Amino acid sequence: MEFKFTEENLQKIETVLKKYPEKKAAVMPVLYIAQEQNGYISGEVMKEVARVCEMPEEEVLGVVTFYTMYHQKPIGKYHIQVCTNVSCMLRGAYEIYDKVKDQLRINNGEVTADRQFSLEEVECMGSCGTAPMIAVNEDYYENLDVSSTIKILESLK
Amino acid sequence: MEKIVLPDIPNFDKIDTYLANGGFSAYRKALTQYPDDIIDQVKKSGLRGRGGAAFSAGLKWSFMPKTTDKPKYLCVNGDESEPGSFKDRQIFEYNPFQLIEGILITCYAIGAKTCYIYIRGEYHKWVKFMEKAVETAYEKGFVGEKMKEVFGGGFFCDIHVHKGAGAYICGEESSLMNSIEGKRPYPRVKPPFPAQNGLWGNPTTINNVETITNVPAIINKGWEWYASIGEPKHPGTILFGVSGHVNKPGVYELPSGTLLTDIIYSYAGGVPGNKKIKCVIPGGSSMPPLRGDQLEGVKMDAESLRMAGSAIGTGGIMVMDEDTDLVKVLARITKFYYHESCGQCTPCREGTGWMLKLLNRILRGEGSTKDVELLVSVANNIEGNTVCALGEAAAWPVKFMVTRFRDEFEARVKESAAREVVNKVHSMRRTVNPISPINI
Amino acid sequence: MSSFILDGKQIEFKQGQTIIQAAADHGIDIPHFCWHPSLSISGNCRVCLVEVERMPKLVIACSTLAAEGMVVHTNSEKTLAARNAVMEFILINHPLDCPICDEAGECKLQDYAYQHSVGESRFTEEKMHKDKRVELGPHVMFDGERCISCSRCIRFCDEIAGEPQLTFVQRGDRVTIVTYPGKELDNPYSLNVTDICPVGALTNRDFRFKARVWDMSSTKSVCSGCARGCNTDIWVRSNEILRLTPRHNEEVNSYWMCDEGRLNTFKHVNSESRVSGPQIKRDGKLNKSNWDEAYAAAFGELKSYTKDEIAFIGSAASTCEDNYILAKFAKTVIGAKHIDFPRHIKAGDQDNILIREDKTPNALGAELAGIRPAADGLTFHAIMKAVDEGRIKALYVVEEDLVGLNPAYKETLRKLELLIVHASNYNETTELANIIFPAATYAEKNGTWVNFQGRIQRIRPAVTTIEGDRSLDNLAMSRLDKFGTEFDRWGNVKKMDARPVWKIISGLANTQSGKFRYSTSEDVFNELVKSVPDFSGLDYDVIGEKGAALKKFVNTKTV
Repeated sequence: MEFKFTEENLQKIETVLKKYPEKKAAVMPVLYIAQEQNGYISGEVMKEVARVCEMPEEEVLGVVTFYTMYHQKPIGKYHIQVCTNVSCMLRGAYEIYDKVKDQLRINNGEVTADRQFSLEEVECMGSCGTAPMIAVNEDYYENLDVSSTIKILESLK
Repeated sequence: MEKIVLPDIPNFDKIDTYLANGGFSAYRKALTQYPDDIIDQVKKSGLRGRGGAAFSAGLKWSFMPKTTDKPKYLCVNGDESEPGSFKDRQIFEYNPFQLIEGILITCYAIGAKTCYIYIRGEYHKWVKFMEKAVETAYEKGFVGEKMKEVFGGGFFCDIHVHKGAGAYICGEESSLMNSIEGKRPYPRVKPPFPAQNGLWGNPTTINNVETITNVPAIINKGWEWYASIGEPKHPGTILFGVSGHVNKPGVYELPSGTLLTDIIYSYAGGVPGNKKIKCVIPGGSSMPPLRGDQLEGVKMDAESLRMAGSAIGTGGIMVMDEDTDLVKVLARITKFYYHESCGQCTPCREGTGWMLKLLNRILRGEGSTKDVELLVSVANNIEGNTVCALGEAAAWPVKFMVTRFRDEFEARVKESAAREVVNKVHSMRRTVNPISPINI
Repeated sequence: MSSFILDGKQIEFKQGQTIIQAAADHGIDIPHFCWHPSLSISGNCRVCLVEVERMPKLVIACSTLAAEGMVVHTNSEKTLAARNAVMEFILINHPLDCPICDEAGECKLQDYAYQHSVGESRFTEEKMHKDKRVELGPHVMFDGERCISCSRCIRFCDEIAGEPQLTFVQRGDRVTIVTYPGKELDNPYSLNVTDICPVGALTNRDFRFKARVWDMSSTKSVCSGCARGCNTDIWVRSNEILRLTPRHNEEVNSYWMCDEGRLNTFKHVNSESRVSGPQIKRDGKLNKSNWDEAYAAAFGELKSYTKDEIAFIGSAASTCEDNYILAKFAKTVIGAKHIDFPRHIKAGDQDNILIREDKTPNALGAELAGIRPAADGLTFHAIMKAVDEGRIKALYVVEEDLVGLNPAYKETLRKLELLIVHASNYNETTELANIIFPAATYAEKNGTWVNFQGRIQRIRPAVTTIEGDRSLDNLAMSRLDKFGTEFDRWGNVKKMDARPVWKIISGLANTQSGKFRYSTSEDVFNELVKSVPDFSGLDYDVIGEKGAALKKFVNTKTV
């Protein structure tokens, strides 16, 4: 399906392009704008981003697949990210991670059948001093334990 | 003790509060001096980079070519992705204008007209904080062309926030620049260094967020004052992020050279349940771990930690109590570097995966004494042979964790050897797909 | 000139040269995978790590500039340890499939593994699995597991072909190479990636599984596809050409050639449609003849026409030697004045990389060697018009398929009383011929071509004909030549009864005069040099492996 930026987003892109001497440099922010509009980065999205940033589609693909935060498949309405890196792990992150898997009945990288939740085990999110943590979409939830994590998930259902 | 980077002033993130407390006076002062004098003062202040390498900031600035037709750039590294590091987000949240003022002074000193603040993508909230602060500064005429009117003098510069998208490697300076340029963020082969060949091939200086935030105080209060704080060879305050098995984890701004044990026991409230400490990683997960019995008298500054057999890194102190399974910890650390290796150069691309496979096997109870030796050998083969420092970052924890806690690793493989089943499993060895998460 | 010390040897270098370049200029190969002299520096494979005295860490020779007085060790303990470490890393996830890998025998990784590895792997885990047998494009196959991520192919597409069709995706050991979904690696130069791939990750779909490298002979030749004259190697097994590869010549084609030239200029040599043995038409049917009979018949027929009724068509696909002898025969023996050759210009099919509009390898040479009308002679188009109008009754055509060139000539040629053709393959023109002489192809003879730059280059026989003398013709020797017996493939291979133009014409001329005495094409060339000033100063040795500029083209800038 063909992808076109909304008028509003085209304006945002105009602003973003001004930050850099070359259009190609705007590929990351433009991808974010595209992902926000489309939910994920499809092949059609990459083509449009390539056009806007005046760079080969191949290079856009190389960039998209390098980073963890550009999703090439649809994710859930609530994208649950559980940090299991050392500081969180020392404070019970894997118990939380297992519990989340249990509750959502999905594994890492999967989406629930109703498309409400997706799960990603993530690397250190910079919440070591407030560990353990999960992030729901863009928001951090810190100083968690298993029961407070369940409450967060319940509140989203 | 006065705090430089995170002062205890309420609402310091508001422009009015910042101005009421002398905000932008350092930049005004800087404008009355020659750029080279600024560089000289920063050099003499002894300010060293807070991003891991602890390189002299002033010296770095002095590498920028004085006469060039090319545009010059400043990059501020807020990619903060080293496990155990969570200090820069405090600056974005609580002291964004001092960072901005530091940027203005730095740009003036090195002659840069454009600055990019690179913030890791996961820090959505802090990206917004920083974008808002930059926007406010633009509105007030503290950044951009209006600076000329507001501050006088002919100098002005622009500041842009660039948001990462989830890649530890982007904290490596040349990778960060490739990321901004819209390329795959592979680290560049050095030399040439950024001061010659940085953003778009132009002279570029890159400093950590915390480093730059120190600059206004140095200009305001003088390099002599700054140089007198903490350890002379690595002066100033440092943001220590304490995490893991402590009662009060968090970020503590303390003079360099503060005793590691003081930080853990006095500031961070000691270990829960008064347990003994088995291991501390003093500078973020890529730095060599110290044994619990090696901590006495260790001071937190670059030179002292080097003497103690580790490194200051980003000042992220990870504390592990006596019940911690270090094989698990090392496997988790190694999984991180495996996950984050960019794949450009051979030793890191291949070596991180190999180490992870070995550690996973040891964890599963299928390891042998030979595997422990092999692990160290693989780490040694990565070290020094890679394009960038991620090689060392991956190799050091393995090398030093195994050698400093060899008893624990050997006990683990002996334990497994004792079980007869293991030999069978070993002979039918099947490794799990390394992309799937390790089960710890 | 500055110099540095490499393993105890003094090496001179030019300012700005890297250690590896300076070493290469002196014939010293510092092991490398990702570095390629014609591509940008990537520095990723780490095999070229060397020890430089007074430098704290090992440095990569491919990106480190040589400096006055530098002391470099490529075989010190430290260097060897690093090289072994890197080799071990490269091999841990590389499949051990050399026995079924096309690259075996010309694989950098295989060679270095013999030279620079300890020979035993400490890796006992399962290897990474990636996509195999990926059709990257019409001509190139990719094996993700064999790939060592050196990025040569990506850089080639970006920097040489000018079409960034390949990219790395993912990161870490998951990194692999792809084209954009729905797109293909189909630039006109795509197959060069198979040459520069240092392992068997990228292979030529046309050649895959056809032969082991060591079972083939390789012969230095020149591509016949256009006026560029890319230097090539012809790879032959059992007297059959299996592939062409580009041969380095910085003056002509660097390390590259186009896919069109590589794939579509040799298949006619192996084809079933080859003409073998002279053919004479009697009662409307072609009959196989013998050489002497055909020579006599052709000469007799030619002699029955006046010089105004005869025309000779040379060819820009034939060698200078062939065209010279043809011109000499036409002018001195027959006294003809209508001599020319057709041009094969494909308008617009040209780029600023290698491909030229002129689809013949020797247009300049043919002309210089004498294929041009006498002052009162007709040019090619005029000759064809004269044929059409019945003014020219006998046509002697060398290695040109005129009907293939222009279908309308079919009717034109029917009007002739005599058509003699030299052809390697049966075609629509040979259908109309009274006498066909089987022509040896460019892959079966010695000779020279002059490319569009005015550079004369040698072709050499890679395939042997019935009368071909392999040692006399300087044929490259394969393992089978050296060790084979008459009972194995060489003994039973198909050989064509075909000859080069110069030999056929000499045979023809000698039925009467006996004055065309040449035993090799080199003899012809030496006479050509004496009689045509443009070729003066040249001989086969001077032209050598990389060719030489004809005098009047020296210093002419041609790209």
